[in-house]
Amino acid sequence: MRNTTKRTYIILFLIGAFFVGLGIMLYTFIANGDTWVANRGNSHLYEGGELTVAGTIYDRDGEVLVSTENGERAYNEDSSVRKSTLHVVGDNAGYIATGVQTLYRSNLVGYNFIDGIYKTLTSDEGCDIRLTIDADVSKAAYEAMNGKKGTVVVYNYKTGETVCMVSAPTYDPKYKPSAEELESEKYNGVYLNRAISGVFTPGSTFKIITTIAAIENLPDLYSKKFKCTGKYETGVGEVICNGVHGTVDIEKGLNVSCNCVFAQLANEVGKNALTQTVRDLGFAKNVTISKATAVRSTFDVSDSTALDLGWAGIGQYTTLINPCQMLMLMGAIANDGIAMTPYVVEESSEIVDAKNKTNTAVRLSAETADKVKKLMRSNVANYYGDKKFPGLEMCGKTGTAEVEGAKSHAWFTGFSQRSDLPYAIVVCLENGGWGYNDAIPVANKTMQAVASSIK
Amino acid sequence: MAGTNRISTREKMRRKYRYVDRSFILFLLTLFQVVSFTPVIFADGEIHFKVAFMLLGYILFEWIYVTFMHNVVKKINFELELIAFFLSGIGLCLTASVNEDSMLKQMITVLGGVIVYDILLWYLKDVKRVMAIRPFLMAFTLIFFAGAFLYIYKFVGAINGAYNWIRLGGITVQPSEFVKIAFVFVGAATLDKLLTSKNIYLYIGFAMGCIGILFLMKDFGTALIFFFTFIVIAFMRSGDVRSIIFICVAAVIGAVLILYFRPHVMARFENYRHVWDDPYGRGYQQTRVLMYAVSGGLQGLGVGNGKLRHVYASTTDLVFGMICEEMGILIAVAIVVAFAFIAIYAVKSSKSAPSTFYSISACSAAAMILFQTCLNIFGITDLLPLTGVTLPFISQGGSSMVCCWALFAFIKAADIRAYPKMYKT
Repeated sequence: MRNTTKRTYIILFLIGAFFVGLGIMLYTFIANGDTWVANRGNSHLYEGGELTVAGTIYDRDGEVLVSTENGERAYNEDSSVRKSTLHVVGDNAGYIATGVQTLYRSNLVGYNFIDGIYKTLTSDEGCDIRLTIDADVSKAAYEAMNGKKGTVVVYNYKTGETVCMVSAPTYDPKYKPSAEELESEKYNGVYLNRAISGVFTPGSTFKIITTIAAIENLPDLYSKKFKCTGKYETGVGEVICNGVHGTVDIEKGLNVSCNCVFAQLANEVGKNALTQTVRDLGFAKNVTISKATAVRSTFDVSDSTALDLGWAGIGQYTTLINPCQMLMLMGAIANDGIAMTPYVVEESSEIVDAKNKTNTAVRLSAETADKVKKLMRSNVANYYGDKKFPGLEMCGKTGTAEVEGAKSHAWFTGFSQRSDLPYAIVVCLENGGWGYNDAIPVANKTMQAVASSIK
Repeated sequence: MAGTNRISTREKMRRKYRYVDRSFILFLLTLFQVVSFTPVIFADGEIHFKVAFMLLGYILFEWIYVTFMHNVVKKINFELELIAFFLSGIGLCLTASVNEDSMLKQMITVLGGVIVYDILLWYLKDVKRVMAIRPFLMAFTLIFFAGAFLYIYKFVGAINGAYNWIRLGGITVQPSEFVKIAFVFVGAATLDKLLTSKNIYLYIGFAMGCIGILFLMKDFGTALIFFFTFIVIAFMRSGDVRSIIFICVAAVIGAVLILYFRPHVMARFENYRHVWDDPYGRGYQQTRVLMYAVSGGLQGLGVGNGKLRHVYASTTDLVFGMICEEMGILIAVAIVVAFAFIAIYAVKSSKSAPSTFYSISACSAAAMILFQTCLNIFGITDLLPLTGVTLPFISQGGSSMVCCWALFAFIKAADIRAYPKMYKT
């Protein structure tokens, strides 16, 4: 009898294990609740996989980009605003993987362990998100693109606030096209935010990188004279130039975007040093923009011939550059070598530690940054013409990237050197034509919108 | 004689205080039930008189039962009964909220449970009586269970993959729930007798027979509960840790073989800890439990406002998730604590139980309930493999309800206060 009584401890042991289990269960609830709640199967918040109940997303001025009205998501009143902010805001069904409605859905549904989603369902309290994006600038950029595919990204290079991130093709979330239509060529890659998930042949915009490599590696760069006869002979083939520029120095060479100059520089610098520069400028590391990880750029000249390296030096060959990484390089050049990481979601009580982050993967000295800045300023002042960017004091570089079997990509990358307008811009029009003719007007219209609407 | 006197004095003291306690707790219970039923009665903007009347009936029943048992039968304490009423009430509330018509059926099973409880409690009063019926019960149980299985296998077929339910008229009966009662009864009773090897082998044979039939029925959850209870009984009896380890190792090897040969079970284990890999397929139920359980927060979204109710088995296997979502995690934790209290009560009672039969039966019944609760709660939240067992008292289902009340009789029987008249004289 006594023994039996003692043996009841097995039950106490079981009770102990039971409470440990309860503790583990509650811990998993606390640790994973936000992810679980935001699952698309949660029919409190989703209907048929589409988000219906969530907080409001505002632009930087407090303009509503999307909110919940009568049990469904209602987007901005202006169709261009809807289309131009779609990729940042994201869609209801989460097809746009990098959208805020997808990546920040646990914030948007306002979940916390204490209240669950009770407040969201009854009063949508504490689940709103404010973006750094400006609706007016996005609209201006989108309209300036005039139906072309591609992306326009603008950010404050002193803070990292991204005020514009437009990607096209896009669609109107209020009148979403049918699934069939979205399959068509017109909407090719419509769910991709090209700024984040796209990589493009950089064309002549890459010459900025080649220039940086040359500044760092060739002490006599500024006294060098280059001879352009319309082609650059490597011994295994020739790199064709866009003209016959005669004898030029580095400044003039960059102004006119002489292929001979940069094919030669790439070969003089060598593949190792050029690769090192690309790495030093952060292109080899992933960059995360408000939880969205940008696709990494690719640059590989390890098996290249002198001819290949020449093409690589002018931004052709196999190189593919991500627009946001290019934007950060622009930021670093403008900001004394310090690259701020772009972000689109403002901080709040729920979202902390989101802004003012320097990207340490970008290593650029202040002197080099200053030299490149002067060269890029010269491009606009002496070649493209300041009248292309009235009042903006732009520094920049165009690019016309040749694409096999299709129209070229039109690029403009640059920034304003006005101290009251610390914004860098990347325009990349996919198969959109020429940098000078097609990308510069888009860049100008967008930057004018930045200058007039951002205080 | 001095001992008897001492008990009487203590009992007098207790009765003095219990009286206040009992009515007060019953009052709180009534309040809780009225509050939790309010949204059900006023659901969808109309008054559901049927639910209101049934609730009134249930509350009246609680008061009348406790008052009658106290004043007429002279029962002293009602902790277990009140816990059972509390848990059953939550089950009734959610059942009524999902389907008004099921509530009456569920209420009748509570009544049935209470009757079985009191009859069994009366029967357990006399250990000699218990010992006398044991061999017959053992034989009858095995024949009944095997017969039930054969009947189901031939005439009913598998429901949800298990040969476990008999349909009689409008009601479904789960034979294994009734076997649970016999399992504890026979197990505890055998061991009180001389520990002859014949007795031990007989019981092991009986246990393995029951568990074997459960395997044939493909009811692995219940088989696990039986096995676990068997270990507790064996340990309580022998105190031999080495034999227990031996049994466990044998069981693990057996389990591996079963997993190897039965793809159906294997699939279940593959899903374990991977429910989020396939939230629209194999992980459907558990992922829904998790996402909706946390949706409710500590206070819940209110009865009737949940979404888990639309998922299959919401008022049976998944009812704990529904409690979290609609009544809140606080109530859910309170329920878990109530289950733990049952076990603590069993341990406490068995220490002063008048016979080892009471000690062992109380502890094994408590272990059975607690283990089943573990399998249910931690199974649907993916901390343990999902075995499809019900949550005692709360899950909708008559056989389970009656069985739980019967198991409470074993626990109550160990309490020296259970048979006050025995100590009075």
